Amino acid sequence: MLRWIFLLITIFSLPVWAEPIELVLPNKLTAKAEYRKAEAGKPTVLLMHGFLQTHEFPTIHRLTEGLSSAGYGVLAPTLTLGVTHRKQSKACEAIHTYTMDEGSKELATWVNWLKANKTRTIVLMGHSFGSVELLAYLSTNHDPVVRKMIGVSAAEGRIKVDDKSRDKVIRQTRALVKAGSKNLLTQPFSFCQKFRATPKAMLSYLEWTPDHIILQAGNLPISTTFIMGSRDDRLGPGWIEQLGKTKAKVSVIEGANHFMDGDFEFDLLDTVLLELKSL
Amino acid sequence: MKSLSIGRLSLFFILVAGVLIVSMGGYFWMEIRQATAAVRQNELVSANQEVREALVILSQRLDKTATAVAQWEETRQQLVFPEYYSVWRDSRMRDSGLISSGAGAVALYDKAGLILAKQPGPDALPPRLPGKPPLVRYIAGTTGHQLEYFIPVHADPAAQILLGYLGMRLDFLAELERAYSFRYADLSVLKVDFPSQSKIDLKNSLPNLRFEVRENPNQVLFLNLFQVTQLRLTLVVLSVLLIAAWLLKRLVVHPLRTFSSEINAMRSVENNFPHRGMLGAPLLIAELESVRRAFGDYQERLFALHQNLEQNSQDFFDQARHDALTGAFNRRAYDEDWNNLGKDRRHGSAALLLFDCDHFKAINDTYGHHVGDRVIRAIAICLQSALRAGDRLYRVGGDEFASVILDDDPLHAQVVAERCQEHLMKHDFRQYGMSEPATISIGIAQSHSGEFCLGELQKRADLAMYAAKRPSSPKIVFYSEGMGELGALVANRSISAVFDAIRDHRLIELSYQAVMRLPMQQKEYVEALTRIRLNGELIRPDAIFPIVQARKLDAEFDLSVIRAVTDDMASGRLPAWQGVSINLSAPSIVNAKVVDAMLELVRAQKALAGGRKIVVEITETALITQMEVASANIEQLRSAGALVALDDFGSGYSSLRYLASMPVDLVKFDISMVRLLEHGERRQKMILEEIVSMVISAGYELVAEGIETREQLDNIIGLGFSHAQGFYFGKPGEELDPKTAHAAPQ
Repeated sequence: MLRWIFLLITIFSLPVWAEPIELVLPNKLTAKAEYRKAEAGKPTVLLMHGFLQTHEFPTIHRLTEGLSSAGYGVLAPTLTLGVTHRKQSKACEAIHTYTMDEGSKELATWVNWLKANKTRTIVLMGHSFGSVELLAYLSTNHDPVVRKMIGVSAAEGRIKVDDKSRDKVIRQTRALVKAGSKNLLTQPFSFCQKFRATPKAMLSYLEWTPDHIILQAGNLPISTTFIMGSRDDRLGPGWIEQLGKTKAKVSVIEGANHFMDGDFEFDLLDTVLLELKSL
Repeated sequence: MKSLSIGRLSLFFILVAGVLIVSMGGYFWMEIRQATAAVRQNELVSANQEVREALVILSQRLDKTATAVAQWEETRQQLVFPEYYSVWRDSRMRDSGLISSGAGAVALYDKAGLILAKQPGPDALPPRLPGKPPLVRYIAGTTGHQLEYFIPVHADPAAQILLGYLGMRLDFLAELERAYSFRYADLSVLKVDFPSQSKIDLKNSLPNLRFEVRENPNQVLFLNLFQVTQLRLTLVVLSVLLIAAWLLKRLVVHPLRTFSSEINAMRSVENNFPHRGMLGAPLLIAELESVRRAFGDYQERLFALHQNLEQNSQDFFDQARHDALTGAFNRRAYDEDWNNLGKDRRHGSAALLLFDCDHFKAINDTYGHHVGDRVIRAIAICLQSALRAGDRLYRVGGDEFASVILDDDPLHAQVVAERCQEHLMKHDFRQYGMSEPATISIGIAQSHSGEFCLGELQKRADLAMYAAKRPSSPKIVFYSEGMGELGALVANRSISAVFDAIRDHRLIELSYQAVMRLPMQQKEYVEALTRIRLNGELIRPDAIFPIVQARKLDAEFDLSVIRAVTDDMASGRLPAWQGVSINLSAPSIVNAKVVDAMLELVRAQKALAGGRKIVVEITETALITQMEVASANIEQLRSAGALVALDDFGSGYSSLRYLASMPVDLVKFDISMVRLLEHGERRQKMILEEIVSMVISAGYELVAEGIETREQLDNIIGLGFSHAQGFYFGKPGEELDPKTAHAAPQ
């Protein structure tokens, strides 16, 4: 019953609360985001989209609407990925020069923007590889306003090879970076069969191995929850179990897939709201 | 107005139809050409419309494509971070699918209008913007018509933040064809009037484009089909016309022409007879068939009529050329055939046979004309049956017939003539009530190739026939050269001499031959032998009597002889005591004038003291038809004091029957009988002796003719003949010579 009330509120309140935000970054690029102001006393959730996606990705969009309807503030930025005013998902075959560090910096900029807009509590929530982006941000940034991290369908950043081969690829890429090579590399990564990137950008992604993710997730100084779908076929075997071995909380929505669509979006929202209430 | 022939009229209509069909074909062809031109014009309009629409679509597509590329975030990425611009331009841009594979080049320019990286190759975009975008330039490239299209690239949808410019170079023609599926316009020969590198208004650039209108395959197919169909149709129609013309000629023109020619032919006199068999086969056209039948019936009737006319003409012709009595050809046919024979040079040799019935007048007079006609008819039948097939028999006179034998061999004429005599001898004339057979004399003249003319042949045949008529002459006589002179006389002079002698008896010169009394051989009287003296020339009896008989002048001539004898008596040429015998022919003995003249002479002599003996010798007694009249006349003569002698006894003209019937005093044996007594066979002699004895026993005195030798004389004296005459006793004429008078030969 509650979820239906949320749905109705979302439908009728959307035009009122939606606010597109453009933010000029230090590198002169303009980043775009959607912002929903939180009700008084409620935290703002910074929603991070998945790999090469935008804040208009359905899962992010549904969460934005749901959380906003529940009175939570929502900032759903779109990483520029080196493209000013980006609002489209970026193709795997595009020339990727954008690194994980640049992503962390953009997240930091957006956290600062929230703080500049008098946000006292920030919950970082990422979907899929967005969770890794948040881990990368949290690994280098410690801001007390950021109180919690929620990873939805957190991906392990796999390159679809065994560990031995992956290490070899990383070593070779690292050597190229070290040698200052500018030649573009093409490597299967995440859902991309041909992810083309500069060695530096490629390496920044490849270094976020599952082990590195587990490690970083286990060392976060803030409350961390991973909400996973039991039928997420985009994950490697045992990934949820590995996440469960960390100190982070893992909530599994039975029957949900990687995108938590259908009826499972409400389960996801319910789960997220429960997590937010725990703050 | 001159009439046209059906053939020309038909040909005219066929030609008109042919010209009409060809003209209609041409008219349809022109109409199709005009329709094709109109369609072509419409296609040109459609082609222009197509190109116009294609230009709009191309312009829109260029805008859309360029806008898509300009709004593509990776484009913006390159304008901000152009480190991998070349890779993006040459690889990523191509792989993105935003532009067509035919796009020649894509380039990005910074906000200052400078290209981010120069392009190699002839189709490269300029290093600097040629103007302020958006703009379209036409480039006459080495590979064809090119378009360059430039638009600005903004970072934001509101186009407030300019990032740079996008340039694209495309193959104009390929893009047009990709933008539009042309049905009418043929851009393969596209010509563009724009100068190269000029800015153009792509949407409105139609006036500057030159192109062809695509051949409409359906239209070409239709035109080809129409041409072939029209050609076939024309050929079929012309063939049908030819067949129709042939049928028209065969079924209509030919019959009509035949009708016309037949009718026209009948208009001319020489062709005025029906041509049977015209259009024998039935005609397919019912009306013409009706005309043909009607014409055929008409011709049949006309033919029958013509046949009747021909038959009538032939009958008339035959009647005109045939003798009604005998059925033989008549004198006209003889003359015509004779003329034709003269013209026909194929026959080099010919024999003309002239037949003449002996003593026909006597037959007529004796038995009547109806018997004479039957005799003539019988002679004609006998002669015709004796002639060869193809030989014609002509009746050229009352009792004269002729036939011409075209043959080189003279024996054939001889054989034919003998066969004629034979057939005639076999004929039984007793059926006509005649006591003696009818005989004919045949004169034959032959002409060998080119020897002489036919006229001469006819004259010679006449002479030969006259010769055959002479007493004691064969009944078949061929003309001979010796006969020619006589013939000439006969022909030229004898006839006139005979007539002159009839008119003037003084021309008759009598020669007297003595008739001796036996056995003392004393001249008892003389026989007057007739000759005619004309212009100093003497015409002998053998030339005179054939003419007399032929001309039926017996009575007239005998009268002249009587007068001549009378003159001789009066002149003393005949001594007063000298008895004389005068020959009278059979016609004369029944002729009142002759008998009266003779009676007058006899009576005059009786009235004189010591009057001379007058003997009347009747010749040709067999031909005496009026026996009672003759007998009465003879009785008158005897009563008047004349002696009557039956001449030529034993020949065909005198027989025992006449001897029994005729009241005569003397019987004059024919010379042939006398010669039989000397040279005949025993039986013949016996018969003659018996006849002589019988005649003597009957009370007649006998006279022997032709005594030339003493032996003959002794012989007849032994038999009992009372008189004799002949050269033994002297030649005619010598009896009046004083030197020989009363001188008996020794």
